[in-house]
Amino acid sequence: MKKYSFKLNSKLKNIAFGLGYLVIALSSTSCSDDRLDLQPYNSIQEETIFSSPALIEQAVMGMYNAAQRGDYAGAGRGYPFGAAYHQQNDMRGEDMVNTATFYQATYMSAINGSATLNNVYYWLDTYRLINRANLLIEGIDKAVTKGLVTAAATNRFKGEALFFRAISHFELLKHFSRPYQLTGSELYDFGVPYMTKGSTDLQTALANSDVDRETVSASYVKVLADLDAAEAALPSKGTSTVYRIWKDAAIAYKTIVKLHKRDWAGVIAEANKLDGKFSIEADPNTPWANNAGNKESIFSIQNTATNNPTVNGALASMNRGRLLIAISPVIWNNQMWKADDKRRGSDMVYSPTAGATANRKYTNKYKDDVNRTDASPIVRYAEVLLNRAEAKARLGDPTYLADLNAVRNRSLANVSTQAYTASTFTTMADQVNAIVTEKRIEFIGEGKRWGDIHRLINDDLVPTTGIPQKFKNGVPLATNYNPGTPYVFGAGDIAAIPYTDRRFLWPIPDVEVNANPKLKAQQNKGW
Amino acid sequence: MLIIGQKFSYISSILIIFDYDGLNNNQSALSGAMYNSLRQLPNTPIYDPKTPTGYNIFTQGTSSVVGPWKNNAIIANGISNIVYVLNNNMYTSNLTRFIGDVYAGVKITDWLKYRAQFGADNSITDGRLYWNKVHGDGFASGGIVEGNNLNMLRYNIQNMLTFDKAFGSHNLLLTLVQEFQHQRSNYIFGGGSGLADDYFGQGGPITNSYTVQTSGGSITESALASYIARFNYNFAKKYFLQASVRRDGLSQLPYANRWGTFPGVSVGWTVSNENFMQSIRPTLSDLKLRASYAKVGNTDIGNYPFMSLYGNARYGDATGLALIQGGNPDLKWETSVKYDYGVDFGFFNNRLTLSADYFINDQNDIILDRPVSPLLGIPNNNIRQNIGASKNSGIEFSANTDIIKKSDLVWNVGANVSFVKNEVTALVDGSDILYNIDSNRQQVGIIRIGESIRSLYGFEYWGVNPANGNPVYFKADGSLVQQDAMTGAYTTFNASNPGAAGSAASLVAADKKILGNTIPKYFGAFNTSVKYKNFDLGALVRFSGGNKILNLTRRDLLGMDFTNNSTEILNRWQSPSNPGDGWTPRVIAARSAYINMDGIATSRFVEDGSFVKIDNITLGYSLPKDLVQSIGMSQFRIFTTVQNAFIFTKYTGIDPELEINGVDFNTVPRQRTLSVGLNASF
Repeated sequence: MKKYSFKLNSKLKNIAFGLGYLVIALSSTSCSDDRLDLQPYNSIQEETIFSSPALIEQAVMGMYNAAQRGDYAGAGRGYPFGAAYHQQNDMRGEDMVNTATFYQATYMSAINGSATLNNVYYWLDTYRLINRANLLIEGIDKAVTKGLVTAAATNRFKGEALFFRAISHFELLKHFSRPYQLTGSELYDFGVPYMTKGSTDLQTALANSDVDRETVSASYVKVLADLDAAEAALPSKGTSTVYRIWKDAAIAYKTIVKLHKRDWAGVIAEANKLDGKFSIEADPNTPWANNAGNKESIFSIQNTATNNPTVNGALASMNRGRLLIAISPVIWNNQMWKADDKRRGSDMVYSPTAGATANRKYTNKYKDDVNRTDASPIVRYAEVLLNRAEAKARLGDPTYLADLNAVRNRSLANVSTQAYTASTFTTMADQVNAIVTEKRIEFIGEGKRWGDIHRLINDDLVPTTGIPQKFKNGVPLATNYNPGTPYVFGAGDIAAIPYTDRRFLWPIPDVEVNANPKLKAQQNKGW
Repeated sequence: MLIIGQKFSYISSILIIFDYDGLNNNQSALSGAMYNSLRQLPNTPIYDPKTPTGYNIFTQGTSSVVGPWKNNAIIANGISNIVYVLNNNMYTSNLTRFIGDVYAGVKITDWLKYRAQFGADNSITDGRLYWNKVHGDGFASGGIVEGNNLNMLRYNIQNMLTFDKAFGSHNLLLTLVQEFQHQRSNYIFGGGSGLADDYFGQGGPITNSYTVQTSGGSITESALASYIARFNYNFAKKYFLQASVRRDGLSQLPYANRWGTFPGVSVGWTVSNENFMQSIRPTLSDLKLRASYAKVGNTDIGNYPFMSLYGNARYGDATGLALIQGGNPDLKWETSVKYDYGVDFGFFNNRLTLSADYFINDQNDIILDRPVSPLLGIPNNNIRQNIGASKNSGIEFSANTDIIKKSDLVWNVGANVSFVKNEVTALVDGSDILYNIDSNRQQVGIIRIGESIRSLYGFEYWGVNPANGNPVYFKADGSLVQQDAMTGAYTTFNASNPGAAGSAASLVAADKKILGNTIPKYFGAFNTSVKYKNFDLGALVRFSGGNKILNLTRRDLLGMDFTNNSTEILNRWQSPSNPGDGWTPRVIAARSAYINMDGIATSRFVEDGSFVKIDNITLGYSLPKDLVQSIGMSQFRIFTTVQNAFIFTKYTGIDPELEINGVDFNTVPRQRTLSVGLNASF
């Protein structure tokens, strides 16, 4: 009897053990359906992003991030507006020299649609920024409709997004489309696809991809419409940070766009709106020594020690640290730039004292090549004044001189003897030439030269003919720099390329035409 | 009455600790081991006693490169002195891995068993990185230091019920399994740049020794739940039938498409066990016919591939959020359907065995990144999609025999060969998908219906214009176009009148062709072993062929900037009277884009990837049994092995096996290793 019950007990133990184990094991895995609903830790799903004012502000910062850093094959090199704007625009012109291989493809116009990544990523990252701007506008609209935020609190953010959308498309027009004034030319009349809807997933992507390039004038209309809407939505800058977009930036950029449209009266009207809001600093170096607090900068992109376009993109790194972009003898020797001009001084120009690059000239506007904290200038008041000066000169208004001198006189060693007077320039061509040349001198390293080359093709007064003749690729000799003695082009220097050559405009990248048959049919001429 | 029988349980575990001293093997990094060493100028020394470091280094401003020595120009692309970098940078990691299993079960009856099993695999990798402050990739930032920790845990729970009973000659086995698997990766790193002194880099991040702090981390996880039923039946060990079905739910797919059903069935007939075969048994000792069908799903598709995600995107020092992944809410299971028909033969008491198989493997709803128009601004311009289907079909043969089988001499030989054909059978929209590498810098391949997946795709090269040294390519219509090496402009080319100027022409995407398939059409191995008394000698020979490789390493060694070139450049075109090999164009500095067509594949760099490799030769000696047993061991053998011994190939690169998807781009070669070892059993 005892034996039997002992056996039974052990059998019961076994049953208990087996069933208990079964219960535990099965119950721990039975609710596998929720176990499979795993949410990511590193990122947030799209549905929750535009649900509160704080999150919307984060999305605004995300949009600025796309302007500041971009995604250049996985690295943030400042495409489009953190550094590439300045570097690519200047490398297309003749006032800066590419000293090694870094920007050679752009500098020598040796581009193709796939391997020369500088222009490929210019397209890719600019549209990446445009999409973030569109998603922000749509997200804010949805949140306002749902009552999660008020229109008053978020209109400003929409204005910032509209500004980025406008200047991004305008930037693409400068490189991929014919100049506005060349209507009926041999260059095709294609603008750039103007994207106004955001894409977040496969379904929206397919819905939004049916776009074409339209015409150049249609694109300009949309750029100005966005800038007007931005102006209406944004508050004035006042003393707020220069690292965000305010109404004044939209107005300033309209002077640029209208200059390209040759709408001289429009340029003057816009520029007049900024009277009294900004002023030209007494020392030309002040905007560079004091990025955040100077009275001239209207909008600049912020860079910090832990967040900047890196050693492979940051303006200080390329111009001063790695010496990959030099000031060209072409502009250095220009006779309209006085030899004792303050802009040739050591605070604005870096000239190594020893080594293989001794006595060559590099811009010192971007000074921090260790931590790369210099801001990237997008527009400053000096440009607005020079735009207005040119518009006034072309309309025969003699008050252009006040604007020109406002920008120029602060850099002169001796204003009383060196300033321009009403009698210095007698013909309109001379006047406009003086203004355009002053812009070249004033904006070295700021990415403004290409825009002027592009808009002045076949101009009636100061025509450009295409990509200009440039100094050869490589480090200039110290003996090439002679203020006042114009540089004479010789063997080895890069020949001018007429605007009818296919290289005047960049090709739409292969990665775009391969994915988009509509654009493939609208590729630029010769590519 | 239910009688609970014996319990059984099992615990096993393995602990692995592994220290790894590594290299930067990034394909385009300035200090990448292969990228850098191939490009070093051949006429500059490694060391220079006149510099502070003792190495040949030229430093100016924020630029530090290998020194030019007696050259008039500095090496291009900022290439550093790789020996200094190798000796002074640190890439170490310490891996601790624990793999353990525990199961316990009950025998409910003698034909019904239940078992519960739990397994875990936890690997912890602790890493330290230092990019030296004095020279190399860390120079511009004042030295970069980082410590990181990656903790990966995968666990697996299974409940199994097994029914195993024989009814006369019918043997039945039914298994039911419920399984859940989960893995999680937990990563954290900290460090910074701007070191006070090189001294503080050697130990990884040291508190307060660097000025700019960086830190971060990431967590990812995925899970799979499965329900499986397997049924095995055989009759008298002559007729075999196996069927199974499983239902799997994958966390990485959207809710609507999460679950998939995957059946399989196989049949076999061991003919040699039949009564009518017994008479020829001594000769034909084994004959089996088999056929099978199975459908499986692919779980290796990324962690959250279908979601639209917003991630961190800072502006200045402010945090921000932006779209970082475009999602696809329609993503569904990628499945593979396999058919196999085979026959096995055994002769002379299985002294000679042969087998042959014919297989078809259809992949459906293949999940790949599909390019979308960059106008849309989707991150990476890619969205994960089920892009199409492909088919692999082929035949396999294998044979094995003991040629000599005596008491003190055994010689065994085996061989196998497979012939495979791969073809893409469907693509979404029917349109081609281009395949790019190196962050889209190189457009190398194409996925197109009717072709092998990721075939090489680019322009077909004709040769060099003997009059001016320009490279010449074929257009789609067979006409020839030359590219001006100086300006990049295309003009027509007439082979019978090479000096003629030619009219303006173009070479566009429509002129690209399929340049070759990257998947081998045949491969196999041959192995042999000889055992004579106490010596053993074995060798393994592998072969593979029928595939092409795009040799971009070779292309970059013909680059036109101031870095090293291979000896192939000596055969370039130099003048009409010295036209070189007719294949290598003229040289002009900085014109790689025009002379080598950088960024687009051309047939000039497409090579045959066939090879025969003697991969493994081993020679061993075992001490005599009685000697070994007297010391208390059961076996003691010493051996020496050569691995990666010899390659026979026409491929001009270092190793034809080191292509990734058919492209050789600065890949790191396998070393030939000679090792000596011993086996001891107690």
